[in-house]
Amino acid sequence: MFKKWIEIGLQKGFTDVEIFSSRSKSLSIEVYQGKVENLTTSDVEKAKIRAVYDEKLVTYVLEDLSTKAVDAAFELLKQNAEALTVKEPAIIFEGSPTYPVVKENTFDFDAVPITDKIAYLVDLEKNILANEFVKQVDGANYSESYGETTLINSKGLNLTKKHNFSYAYAIGIFEKNGDIKTGYDVKLVKSFDEYDAQADGQKTIENGLSKLDGKSIKTKKYETVFSNKKFGEMLSVFSGLFSGEAAYRKLTALKDKKGEKIAVDGFNLWDDPLNELAPFQNSFDDEGVASNPKKVIDNGVFTGFLHSLKTAKLFNETPTGNAFGGGISPAGLYLAPGEKDFDTLIQDIKEGFYVTDLVGLHAGVNSTNGNFSLQAGGVLIKDGQLDHPVKMVVLSGNWFDLLLNIKAIGSDLKFDVSGIGSPSVHVGELMVSGEEK
Amino acid sequence: MLSKNELQTLLSLGLETGADFSEIFLEDTYNGRISVNNGDVIAVSSGNTYGIGVRLLKGIDEVYGYSNDTSYASIEKLMLTLRGSFNSEPFKAKPLGEKLPFVNNIKIPYDALTAKEKSQTLIELSNMIKDHDSKIIQAGATLIEWEQKVLIANSNGIYQDDVRTYTRTALTAVAQDGALLQDAYEAPGRNMGFEIFEAVDFKALAKEVAESVMTYLYADNMEPQEMPVVIHNGFGGVIFHEAVGHPLETSAVSKGLSPFAGKLGEKVASDVVTAYDDGDEDGQWGRTTFDDEGKKTQKNLLIEKGILKGYLSDYRSGKRMNYESTGSGRRQNYKYPPTARMNTTYIENGTDEFEDIIKDTKYGLFAKKLGGGTVNPATGEYNFAVMEGYMIEDGKLTKPVRGAMLIGHGAETIKLIDRVANNKTYGQGMCGAASGSIPTDVGQPTIRVSKMLVGGQGGKK
Repeated sequence: MFKKWIEIGLQKGFTDVEIFSSRSKSLSIEVYQGKVENLTTSDVEKAKIRAVYDEKLVTYVLEDLSTKAVDAAFELLKQNAEALTVKEPAIIFEGSPTYPVVKENTFDFDAVPITDKIAYLVDLEKNILANEFVKQVDGANYSESYGETTLINSKGLNLTKKHNFSYAYAIGIFEKNGDIKTGYDVKLVKSFDEYDAQADGQKTIENGLSKLDGKSIKTKKYETVFSNKKFGEMLSVFSGLFSGEAAYRKLTALKDKKGEKIAVDGFNLWDDPLNELAPFQNSFDDEGVASNPKKVIDNGVFTGFLHSLKTAKLFNETPTGNAFGGGISPAGLYLAPGEKDFDTLIQDIKEGFYVTDLVGLHAGVNSTNGNFSLQAGGVLIKDGQLDHPVKMVVLSGNWFDLLLNIKAIGSDLKFDVSGIGSPSVHVGELMVSGEEK
Repeated sequence: MLSKNELQTLLSLGLETGADFSEIFLEDTYNGRISVNNGDVIAVSSGNTYGIGVRLLKGIDEVYGYSNDTSYASIEKLMLTLRGSFNSEPFKAKPLGEKLPFVNNIKIPYDALTAKEKSQTLIELSNMIKDHDSKIIQAGATLIEWEQKVLIANSNGIYQDDVRTYTRTALTAVAQDGALLQDAYEAPGRNMGFEIFEAVDFKALAKEVAESVMTYLYADNMEPQEMPVVIHNGFGGVIFHEAVGHPLETSAVSKGLSPFAGKLGEKVASDVVTAYDDGDEDGQWGRTTFDDEGKKTQKNLLIEKGILKGYLSDYRSGKRMNYESTGSGRRQNYKYPPTARMNTTYIENGTDEFEDIIKDTKYGLFAKKLGGGTVNPATGEYNFAVMEGYMIEDGKLTKPVRGAMLIGHGAETIKLIDRVANNKTYGQGMCGAASGSIPTDVGQPTIRVSKMLVGGQGGKK
């Protein structure tokens, strides 16, 4: 079908046409109070047309795949191209010389009886409810997703990749002395037998209990340690700084910093789409450029921007295989671990704040200037030991200052379900707003 | 498109194994976006969202399926798969009724102008921002528009179509002076076509955005402290939306997951607070004539002089707690089953003058414009970034401060509202929750909260 679309486009006067399509099927189940409350199935095929007209690149995403809709789309694309006033590189890619081979997950979740999936959720909910501080479970959820992505274009490129995974979580509502907190833990698996209702429930309980009984702390600067998971979230939220598009638009403070020191010695940040420790691997990006591992920050020095075909051409550099969803983003970001285990990391801190909870990262972060102010929770560190839980404080600082003030990087590298990996990091002093001074 | 008879047959098919409710949601949506930066049109993209969502309910047990294949055979197959979840006596569907008229008074629909014609207006606005100051390095004007056509049919006899037309323009500015970088934006939207440029004074907004970015480029960081906070009108209403609006949705209330569960008729806010959610306010961004379950939208009283008067409900969540739907069943598109959501939510005007509230505040923060934030409906804990803030000292606005973050508990905060002005306006946003991302308005007059925790970095910039 898509080869036909390319022909239609070429006949209508486009110089190059590319179709990036995906077919995805999913199943999700929600169990509440021991029974299935919602079951959703889906099967959606969508296609994105990228086409060059008069040396300008325009795009159209379709879910109506009828010939009539495709025909109308190409007509509108011509009009849209006429509106563009900038002359930027408009590239449809002929392909990379070679592509890395990524191991595909062959497990068939669809073959697992639905009753087994429901039984797991019922057990997961029951195991969480067994804890005395759990007031209720706001749904135990299971999802599986299977998909195939195809990229074909008029330059002869024809690539396919598949995804296949499942994840589950339950949200526990915890209460102690009138203090209510939520706890959850998302488990991502490649095969159904990785689920363990006992162990998975325990993780949710631990997450909830760790937040209970929290107190505010006095407003002042604290030696701050981020948990591996939370530092990973910070890396993720500031990863737009490495985008070649942001550099081109002068929207990143790193724009003239290539080759300069932006973090402490020993800070090594990788973007590795092939890392087998990460939950997903990727052999090519949305423009068909082959994936490859690279260091974004090498021993504190910024090595350069992540590029799409367009921004690579603008900067006269090589495309890095980071074009995703119409923008540029990392494909497997992780901070290389240091030497110290967690206990050693905090042992010399007389009074500090161990951050295990950050809320509202989209709102409290200014990725243009690096300032952040975030609702946070965690644990007070006293004389090198974890003391009492801390809740409802605001943690504030500047990302660029933070990178240059890091005191130690832990050895406990962990990948999140989002694909970002980080160890725990002692970042030095940050302002914590809590009770009166 | 399927005929009424075909829909009737399919709806009946879904009830043959014991489901007591079946529903088909058909959608055909056009999406468009034009991005202008520093006077240049840098990107134009279009697309469609197209498919069907099928839902069966037995009591409150729900099965849902969706696909972009809208053929009779595809929906029939989906119905048969979904009804496999039930196994009891067949249920009978009511005959489909007649469609009611919907309101869609669009003057300039999205396809009346070409991208090139539309971009002229955007270029002018972008240039206005850029020309304001040489330190402004990026001046953006982005048009976002979509028109959603839906048809909803269900076994209760609902047979209803609706067309929703949305147009929004985001104005953005980034200023730089040496190592200092700052951004600012405004993004009004309406249930309108291109005539939004007549309804909203975008030129005045362009000037405001440019002035704001220059003010905050040199502002000091917020010193963290607890203090009275005067929250300005318009988008300031986002705190009420997040911290009170979401916990009033029956999806949370019916599970007892809300601090407002079981509190109808009780005092939940200070006397000066009266609040509504209106699904049908003319031209508003959050408006629809019918909700995504085909029910006529309405104006819902939430809080009257501090007393909790009502919740917001869809059909299914309402069933769980025996609460009638308030026409609030919404979804982003056919990929989501609907749930209880807000439309245009606001705190009603009070009697105070804005100037008096500032004058009567000895020391505090004036949160002129809020950015984004989040709330955990189960705990009521919220956080909101202040995009534009000024210190209030001895009843006067003194210096701008940046990076302020407000945190607190919604149920506690609304009890601390001690002043409400008479200058209500609205702000527009996209609200994300279980049934996806939907356009909503937040609104309020200027209010004062007697004490809030204000976080910040402290120190000079």
